[in-house]
Amino acid sequence: MYLELAKRSFQQQFAYRAATLAGLFTNSVFGVMLSSVYLALYWDKADGVSVAGFTAQQTVTYTWLGQALIMPVVFWGWWLIVDTIRTGTVVMDLLKPMDFFRFWLSRDLGRAAAQVITRGVPTLLIGALLFDLVWPESWQRWAAFLISVPFAVTVSFCLRFMMNLWGFWLLDHRGISSIMLVVSGVFSGHLLPIAWYPAPIRDLLNVLPFRSMLMTPVEIWLGQISIVHGLSLQLFWTTVMIGASYALLQVAERKVVVQGG
Amino acid sequence: MDKPITLREELGIAWKIAGIRLRGQMAYRTSFWLQIFGNFFTNFAEVLALFAMFYQFDTLGGWTLGEVALLHGISMIAFSLGDLLTVGMDSVAPQIRSGDFDRVLTRPLGSWMNAATSEFSLRHLGQALQGVLVLGFALTQVEIAWSIDKALLVPVMFISGIALFMALFTIEAIFSFWTVNGVEAINAFTYGGSDLAQFPMHIFGRSLRFIFFWIVPVGFITYYPALYLLEKPDPLGMPDWFVLLGPVITTIFCAVVSWGWNQGIRHYRSTGS
Repeated sequence: MYLELAKRSFQQQFAYRAATLAGLFTNSVFGVMLSSVYLALYWDKADGVSVAGFTAQQTVTYTWLGQALIMPVVFWGWWLIVDTIRTGTVVMDLLKPMDFFRFWLSRDLGRAAAQVITRGVPTLLIGALLFDLVWPESWQRWAAFLISVPFAVTVSFCLRFMMNLWGFWLLDHRGISSIMLVVSGVFSGHLLPIAWYPAPIRDLLNVLPFRSMLMTPVEIWLGQISIVHGLSLQLFWTTVMIGASYALLQVAERKVVVQGG
Repeated sequence: MDKPITLREELGIAWKIAGIRLRGQMAYRTSFWLQIFGNFFTNFAEVLALFAMFYQFDTLGGWTLGEVALLHGISMIAFSLGDLLTVGMDSVAPQIRSGDFDRVLTRPLGSWMNAATSEFSLRHLGQALQGVLVLGFALTQVEIAWSIDKALLVPVMFISGIALFMALFTIEAIFSFWTVNGVEAINAFTYGGSDLAQFPMHIFGRSLRFIFFWIVPVGFITYYPALYLLEKPDPLGMPDWFVLLGPVITTIFCAVVSWGWNQGIRHYRSTGS
């Protein structure tokens, strides 16, 4: 049944053709722009010199992976559950004979799978046409990267799920939305490679779950982390985030009952 | 609705409307300050990225932190004030869909002014404030030999920058008179443009430079004024007087956008919705 839900939302994504093209255009313009900025930082460095573990070529690859994963992983602006809370359909969803968390997760994974195809792959191809990118050095790394993306989506989903439940208490998500922007934009490593920040910030971001959303997949791609280390780190954080989501859901469900009474 | 009204009267009424909306917002004082604070916090990431980049690197395309911060400050101020003055443009598309746009058109001002003042929000002041702080920081880092022409350049630079972003936000609304599909592509020019203007133009490739100088002229609002203020030679080899092109091109750009707006209104009326 959950597989069916995932399949439905997978197919749904292919309906928005104009939006897909517009999005690809925007991602590409930003990709070219950011790549140019990063390359300009390396102007006074010799070829192949790495700064905080990144050569110029690796930094450009990081940029395009970041742009390619924006839509599949979703780093900001996702308030679908809050919307159902406002319209009241959430009650129907809770009454359905299925697990509320899995109901949303399976739909989100279906959406992400579609957007890997419609947004992720094309963006990366455009990047590869315009710039010299680094590719995973072995088929094991390719496979590991492909496994790491669903982990990234799941961690991101749990974060969004919890933020949405939180929005349910506050009945207004604008304030949380700016916190969410910083958490997923900065803490995931989307804004800048985490290794570039000054030591205290870097060390903090390295022990938080949010690097699983982007930095760890990128490191697996670039070969900066061993496959086993990278994937087990993601597995650990995915488990923790799912557990936290269920715990918060339980509290929230009790609250719905009280309000409904 | 098109009865003759002088620009002075029009601005007077727009000012009054803005005052009323502002008072409306101030009624919820906590929410008002929270929104300004939230906006400040959100845009903090941009500034954080700038400092973190220069924590690892010494120069960006040959420019120092202070010099790039100067570009950041100018761009952030122009973008946020341009956004602030055209907040109403964001609601043109939903208003067209819900039919409320007819009501907007019946107000006493010109159609653009009516739409622009249909909403007003001061939260963008959060980003403007941040731009001022970054600009202040930049001024402590770089040395500018002030002269009369440079002092005159500053207001011209800000006014054309703000006008350019107002025009860009208007384009988004113009498209919505015809279609609701794919309007997001304009984000590449508004948000992309303000991000791009935060860096020296010579680091970008030929095609990006062409787009952002000659089609959407954001390159002129920060790069040439900054070169002039810092007395840096242009790596792109353009002459000094290029700094004057900014206001000229912005004026042309605004004229084209205003023509497009009128076409949009005419199209809207002729469909009779």
